[in-house]
Amino acid sequence: MKLKLFRKADIIIIAAVIAVSGVFILLNSFDDSSLNAEITVNGKLYETVDLNAVNGKRVIIPDTDPHVVIVAEKGKIRFESAECKDKICVKAGNLTHKGDVAVCLPSGTVISITDSATDAVTY
Amino acid sequence: MKDKPVRKLYILPFVCLIICAVVFGVYAGNRFGEDSIEFFAMDTYCTAKTNGAKAEKVNNSIKELVKKLDADVLSRQNESSLVYSLNENRGGPITEIKDYLEVMNKVCRDSGGAFDYTLGKVSDLWDFGGNPQVPGDDALETVLSSCGADKVIISYGSVSFPEGLSLDFGACGKGIGLDEIRDNILDEGGIKSSVVSLGGSILLYGNRDFTVGIRNPESITGYVATLNLPACCVSTSGNYERYFEENGKRYHHILDPKTGYPVDNGLVSVTVVSDSGILSDILSTACFVLGLDKGMSLASKYGCTAVFIDDNKCITASKALEGKVKINADSYTLRFQ
Repeated sequence: MKLKLFRKADIIIIAAVIAVSGVFILLNSFDDSSLNAEITVNGKLYETVDLNAVNGKRVIIPDTDPHVVIVAEKGKIRFESAECKDKICVKAGNLTHKGDVAVCLPSGTVISITDSATDAVTY
Repeated sequence: MKDKPVRKLYILPFVCLIICAVVFGVYAGNRFGEDSIEFFAMDTYCTAKTNGAKAEKVNNSIKELVKKLDADVLSRQNESSLVYSLNENRGGPITEIKDYLEVMNKVCRDSGGAFDYTLGKVSDLWDFGGNPQVPGDDALETVLSSCGADKVIISYGSVSFPEGLSLDFGACGKGIGLDEIRDNILDEGGIKSSVVSLGGSILLYGNRDFTVGIRNPESITGYVATLNLPACCVSTSGNYERYFEENGKRYHHILDPKTGYPVDNGLVSVTVVSDSGILSDILSTACFVLGLDKGMSLASKYGCTAVFIDDNKCITASKALEGKVKINADSYTLRFQ
């Protein structure tokens, strides 16, 4: 008897599995539509905000000293106000792109939009 | 005839399982053993993203090393730091930083004084980190006359310098931190790759190519260009990082050692790529002060590459970076020199 490892139907099923897997990898590699902002306070994640899902204006006030007020709207997030001296974080304005980062050193608060296109940004 | 259905039953799921395992491995392989950390040290925001079995432990060690290096060695403000002690006593033993200080002195000489780590008192007058103000010409002149790396004498593991001079590692501390992290933590093994950022000075570690964005000088956020680089260190000096405005004029923190005033030569940022953290850090400052042509020559002399961005939105990169720089903002032009 001639032994065949695969029949035609088996090969079709395997090809289908490979194709579905390929699509899965491609979709995950090129998923560029998400826009997630991470807010951390003193190195700990405070909240992740899906900026595409924000409706209207969302005010976030982490428990920090000095106080900062963060405002998230659809597609953007910013330090609205800060009780620190230099207000560099407020001057940064709206973060709208992947890789954007705004830091309030005195309060230890960081907003960053996660980015898979770069490993780091030099400044 | 009977063995056919048995073979079909066992071989097909087995093959499918292998395919799924391979796909899962490809998709998730880089995500397992990945750890990120962020912290504040050296008066700036620091991050480390490490990939490998010991990623979390390595990241914690990085954080500890940077905080300790800042507090015990480099800080001008911390009374228990080496630099504080040196400034108080006009010198002393410098075992921990001797090699770094020699590199700094060499760059001071080679740059004709464009990089100078003795401007502590000048920085105090400007007070960029506190209540920034434009100092008076007389005060600036008096303080400047006491500064100068040529007044620092290194001999037998000790340093000495005259009164009125104050060492300031602000333009090289992050680079030193990157070198210390690579030599004392990452080279010990247990990781595949790591990307460390100390206030925008970057250490790329691992056997792969990395993509580094250069901050958009106009918007503070985003990046104007990307660099495709192997393992190395990348530092940027930009006039948008620390500044204040007085009477409608902007004053930034990169000071010309010759005048004591912020450099005003049309550049907005200089990025230097080097195998050495301290070189990338101090050369970015030196090149910014020197300007495009002299700066590019200096970077080249040290075997480094550089990217200069000017206020006409022109990006000039070293020829060796051709094919590795990609513009990310339409309004900018790119050329190589």
